[in-house]
Amino acid sequence: MADPHELPLEELRQRIRAAGITIPENRLAMVRKLLGDALAPVRALDSRTIRTIEPAVKFVAEPKEGGDRE
Amino acid sequence: MSDEIFYATIRELGTRYRKREISPVEVTRALLARIEKLDPLLHAFVTLTADRALEDARTAEAALRRGDENPLLGIPVAHKDIYLTRGIRTTGGSALFAEWVPDSDSTVVRRWQEAGTVLLGKLITHEFAFGLQFPGHKFPAARNPWNLDHIPGGSSSGSGAALAAGLVAGATGSDTGGSIRGPAAFCGIAGIKPTYGRSSRAGVMTLSWTLDHTGPMARTVEDCAFLLQAMAGHDPADPASSTVPVGDYLAPLRRGTSGLTIGVPRNYFFEGVDAEIQRAFEEAMDTLRKLGAEVRDVRIPSLRGAMSFLLILMAEAYAYHERDLRERPELYGDVLRERLLAGALVSASEYTQAQRIRSEICAETAEVLRDVDLLATPTTPKPATPFTLAHDPEFAFPRSNMAPFNLTGLPTLALPCGFSSTGLPLSMQLSGRPFEETTVLRVGHAYEKATAWHTRRPPV
Repeated sequence: MADPHELPLEELRQRIRAAGITIPENRLAMVRKLLGDALAPVRALDSRTIRTIEPAVKFVAEPKEGGDRE
Repeated sequence: MSDEIFYATIRELGTRYRKREISPVEVTRALLARIEKLDPLLHAFVTLTADRALEDARTAEAALRRGDENPLLGIPVAHKDIYLTRGIRTTGGSALFAEWVPDSDSTVVRRWQEAGTVLLGKLITHEFAFGLQFPGHKFPAARNPWNLDHIPGGSSSGSGAALAAGLVAGATGSDTGGSIRGPAAFCGIAGIKPTYGRSSRAGVMTLSWTLDHTGPMARTVEDCAFLLQAMAGHDPADPASSTVPVGDYLAPLRRGTSGLTIGVPRNYFFEGVDAEIQRAFEEAMDTLRKLGAEVRDVRIPSLRGAMSFLLILMAEAYAYHERDLRERPELYGDVLRERLLAGALVSASEYTQAQRIRSEICAETAEVLRDVDLLATPTTPKPATPFTLAHDPEFAFPRSNMAPFNLTGLPTLALPCGFSSTGLPLSMQLSGRPFEETTVLRVGHAYEKATAWHTRRPPV
């Protein structure tokens, strides 16, 4: 049975072209497996249902000592 | 001097120094001789700083004579070679920095120096804390003192090997997906990845900004507590450094485990775990019950997305290395170069979704830690990997029991809990709430006091 995480080889080649990098042929299988494993959780995700708890910048409102106060 | 001194704890060394039974200079000389004898087999050190070590030892002796009570005075240590050291080359385990000599120390190096440690040298790291050295690399890979045909784990490979072989009493490690805890597990020692922001990363080479942690490795939990005490605390030079006050990591160690509840997440962490590791882990839980802890099962369903850590690591590592990968790719080690380049293939949307998955794991884990004080899990699904397997370029990046705690940033201690039938160390992890290193160390110390795994010595 095919590995559901497997990244299609053609898609890998498209990504390599789009990124403008070169991966030697003898390393394609390794990169394909690595990227396929890394992408698996994201591909299993329904982006509409996951909790909307994005990383967010937190600001401290107090000015630094000597900063603008006017 | 008897061999037992090579495996003395920090407390034992300090006591013997103060009783004038031995001196830091004597210990340093003995260790330098041991390193000269054993390191050609182990390749733990990438740079030995013998003159500096003897100078540090003499300084420590003078301080001891003055009555200085710092517990790290005269303690022999070495640093993972991604920690910048002023005037001492810092290679990152890579040909790119083979002869680079920084003009400043990382914050942690400076803090240990101020505490009076003796610097024996720099310890080999997997290249840029990510890529195992393949045969023919500029620097040879460290080997596991328990079995030289097996890796000592990584990326803090030299730290793990040097501690297990009795070459140093403490070492720094860094942990992006398990690089403190993996070598601790494979080498039968202890190591703690503190809470994200607890220990400074300033002056430490980056692998992945949002996952990188620094922390100590040692042969006992108490030694980790001594070393962490000296490295923890706010550092304005690290943007992620926390201002939460640092507690006392030593005194609470004696409190034991009574009244604490330990949760065992039964999903994710036990998939693909060797039977021997599972058995050792369950026996460890029985020991903790006998020591007064309540142990019960919990579930963290969102961990099914834990491998999102790999996507985050790949994208961030590529961002860090992009310029060098384009301009001098030939200086990267074989296989590592393509592993790093793979980060260029991750889209912005995919990286963002991975961070959303991470947020969900953080929230769900925090929810579980309202009901239990700690989480306990096997550190690795299998014991140390043989080189023959690790050196296969097709060897897949292993599914990690450690990465969830890089995603969540929770303090996590790895410590020995048994041995395989082939004589390789087995390990468990204890993870606590943010900035509750004290609780993690306390339970680890109680377990260690009740068992003898940490007293076994490798056959080197």
